[in-house]
Amino acid sequence: MPDLFMRMMKEEWRLHSTMFGQISFALFPVMIFGIVFMGSFLLPLMHSALPLGNITLITHAMFLTLGIMVGGFGLLGNEMMNRRFGQASFLAYSARSLPLSERYIFANFVLKDTVYYFFLWVLPFGAGYIAASPFTGTPLQSAFLLLLTLSLSFMAGLCTVFLLSSLYVRSKRALVLLVAAVGVGFLAIFLATRINPALYFPPYLLYHSFSLPGFIASCGVLAVLFILSVILFSPEQSGGITIHRDLFLPARKRFAGLPNPPLVAKDFVDLHRSGIGVGQTLFSFAAPLVVIWFFLSLVGSYLPPHGLLFLFAMISGVIASTIYTWVTEFDNFGHYSCLPVAVSTLIGSKMTTFSILQIIPAVFISLAAAFSGEVAFILPAVVLCISFSFYAAGIMAFLCGLSPSVLVYDVKVLFTYLVLDGVVFAIFSALAFVNPWYALASLVLIIPAWICVKAAKRRWDAVDPVGF
Amino acid sequence: MSPVLDVTDLSKAYGDVTAVDHVSLTVDEGALFGLLGPNGSGKTTMIKVLTGQIRPTGGSARVLGLDVEREGLKVRERVGIIPEQESPPSFLTALEYLEFVGSVRKIQGIGEKAEYWFDLLEFRDKKHVLCKDLSRGTRQKLMFAQAFIHEPVLALIDEPLINFDPVMQDVVKGYLSEYVRKGKTIFLSTHILEVAEEICSSFAILHSGKLLHTGPVADLTARGTHLPEFFLSLVRKEHHA
Repeated sequence: MPDLFMRMMKEEWRLHSTMFGQISFALFPVMIFGIVFMGSFLLPLMHSALPLGNITLITHAMFLTLGIMVGGFGLLGNEMMNRRFGQASFLAYSARSLPLSERYIFANFVLKDTVYYFFLWVLPFGAGYIAASPFTGTPLQSAFLLLLTLSLSFMAGLCTVFLLSSLYVRSKRALVLLVAAVGVGFLAIFLATRINPALYFPPYLLYHSFSLPGFIASCGVLAVLFILSVILFSPEQSGGITIHRDLFLPARKRFAGLPNPPLVAKDFVDLHRSGIGVGQTLFSFAAPLVVIWFFLSLVGSYLPPHGLLFLFAMISGVIASTIYTWVTEFDNFGHYSCLPVAVSTLIGSKMTTFSILQIIPAVFISLAAAFSGEVAFILPAVVLCISFSFYAAGIMAFLCGLSPSVLVYDVKVLFTYLVLDGVVFAIFSALAFVNPWYALASLVLIIPAWICVKAAKRRWDAVDPVGF
Repeated sequence: MSPVLDVTDLSKAYGDVTAVDHVSLTVDEGALFGLLGPNGSGKTTMIKVLTGQIRPTGGSARVLGLDVEREGLKVRERVGIIPEQESPPSFLTALEYLEFVGSVRKIQGIGEKAEYWFDLLEFRDKKHVLCKDLSRGTRQKLMFAQAFIHEPVLALIDEPLINFDPVMQDVVKGYLSEYVRKGKTIFLSTHILEVAEEICSSFAILHSGKLLHTGPVADLTARGTHLPEFFLSLVRKEHHA
C-alpha cells in the first residue's frame, strides 16, 4: 500500500509540475497561504458586520463544498478507471496488470487524492490563518483547532460524495432513497427544534466546543463513509455490452440551427450516455449549492434585504461557470485530431453546449427564488447568475482553452482568474445589494465574455494542441 | 508524376528533444509510400506535422500543394488520417461515430458509405455498440473506415495493421493496393517490414528523427536485397555509430 500510494503521489505531483513548471505549481499552495494570511487581517473589519461564529460557519461550508467538488470524480463509475486513471494516472492504469484488485487501487487513489488536495488547499489555508494569528489577536490554539475542523469538513465532503457516487453507479434508486432519508432527517430536526440543521454540522460544533470523544466520533464516521464507498465501488457495470439506438442523428437535427451541430450533438450524446450530465448536475452543481444555501441562510439577517438571493445567485454563477469544465473533460483534442476541426472550432462548440446547459442554473435560481418567497426577483437573479457564469466561463476559456480542470492549478492562471472574477463579483454584488433590479446591469458582462472567447480561439489556435 | 507531399529540411523539437531532424523527402502521386523506423524514430511526429496537428520548429512541408503550417485545417479536410492510437469517442456507437465523421466532413450519403465499411471490414454486428466497448481490433477497423470514408486523394496512416488478425490484414493490404491503383496516394508509417516490402512502392527510413535512406523498393529488389535485411543493417550501423 505505502509503495503504490507514494508513487501515485509522486506521479500526481509530476503530472501537474511538468505542465506548469515546478515553481509555478509549487507556488499554488503558497498563493493560498498568502491570500488567507492577508485576509486574516480583514477579520476585525468583518466582525463589525458579521459575528465570528458566522464567519467560521461559512468557512466550514466552503471546505465541505471543496471536498464535495474534489470528490465528484467518482461519479464516472465504470469509465473512471479508463478516463481518469488511463489519461491522468498511468501508474494506476498500469497497476491493473499487476495482481492488485481494482478496489485496492481505488482505495489508494482516493487516499492519494485526499492527502494531495489536503496539502494543496486545506493545509495552506489553515497555515495562513495560524501564521496571522499572533498579529490578529486570535489565540494560537483556536487557529490550530480551525485547521483541524476544516480538515474534517473537507474530508466529510470528500467521503460523502465518494459514498454517494459509488451508490449512484450501483443503484440510482438506493441513492434517491438515501438522499430522501437524509432530507427528511434534516426537515425533522428543523421542525422539532426550529434550528437550521447546518448548525449541527459536527466539525463546526467541534470548533466551538472541542471534545476528544466528539473528535473520535467524527473520525469514526468519516472512516465508515470511506470504507463503505470503497466496498460499494464498482468499476464495471453489470449487464455487459449493450446495443444502443442512434441518438446522434436526431441530436444533430435538433441542434441544426446552432453553430457546429455535429460537435454539439456529440457533446450531448456523451453527457447523456456517460451519466456525466445527471451526475455532475447532482454532485458538482446541486449538492454544493444546497450546502451553500443552508449555510448562507444563517447569515441572511446580516445582508441587505433580498441580499441572500443575490449573493446566492452570484455564487451559483461561479459554480455554473464550471459547466465549461464538465463539457471539456470527457474528451480531449486527440479525438478530433484526424478530422478537420480546429481548436477554436472546438472551443466554440463547447461554449454552445455550455450555453444550452445554462438552463440548469436558471431553473435552480428560479426555484431558490420561489422557495424563499422572492418570486418578484426571479428575473434579475437569473440574469445575474447567468451573466456572471458566461463571464467566468469566458475568462476560463481564455486562460485554459480546452483544459480548465488541469490548468487551474497553474498559479498564474488561478491568480488571474480569481482577480478578474473577484473584482466583478464585488461590483455586481454591491449593485444588487443597493437595488435588486440593478442586477440586470450584469447583462453587460456578456461583452467581455464574448471578447474572451474570441481571444481564446485566437490564442489556443496558435499553439500545438495538448491532449491532457 | 507531381509530388503530393514535399518535405524540405523539416524539424520538430519538443523542448530539448528533437523528434524530427532536418528531414527532406517527396512522395509522388499514386505511390504507396512506407515510412519505416524503430520505436521513437519520429514517424508519428512526422505524420502529426504533415497533417497540421502540430507545427514544425524548422523547415517546411507541403501536402497536396498546401503549407501544413498555415493551412493545416485544409490539409485535414482533404486527406484521410489514421492516428497512432485508435481513439474514437467512448460514448458514440460505431455507426454514430461514422455519422459524426460524415457530418464534420460534410459527406453525402454517409449511411450507405458506413454500411459498405461495416461489410468490408466485417464488423456489421458491432455497429450499435459503444466505442468504449469495442475490442482494439474493431476500434482499429472503425478508425480505418473513418480515414477512407470520404475517399481522400491522400491518406496518412500510422500503423494501420497492428491490431488486425492475419485475415483482416490481408483484406486491408488488398484495399490499400487497390486504392493506389486508382491513382490515389498512401503515406504509411509502420515497423512491420514484411508488409512494407509487400505493398509499398517506395520507402524512407527514419532513425532518431534523421532520414537514413529514401528510395523505391524496386531498387532493393534489383540488388537482390530484402527490405528487412536492409533496414536492420542500416539501423544497426547507425545505432553503433
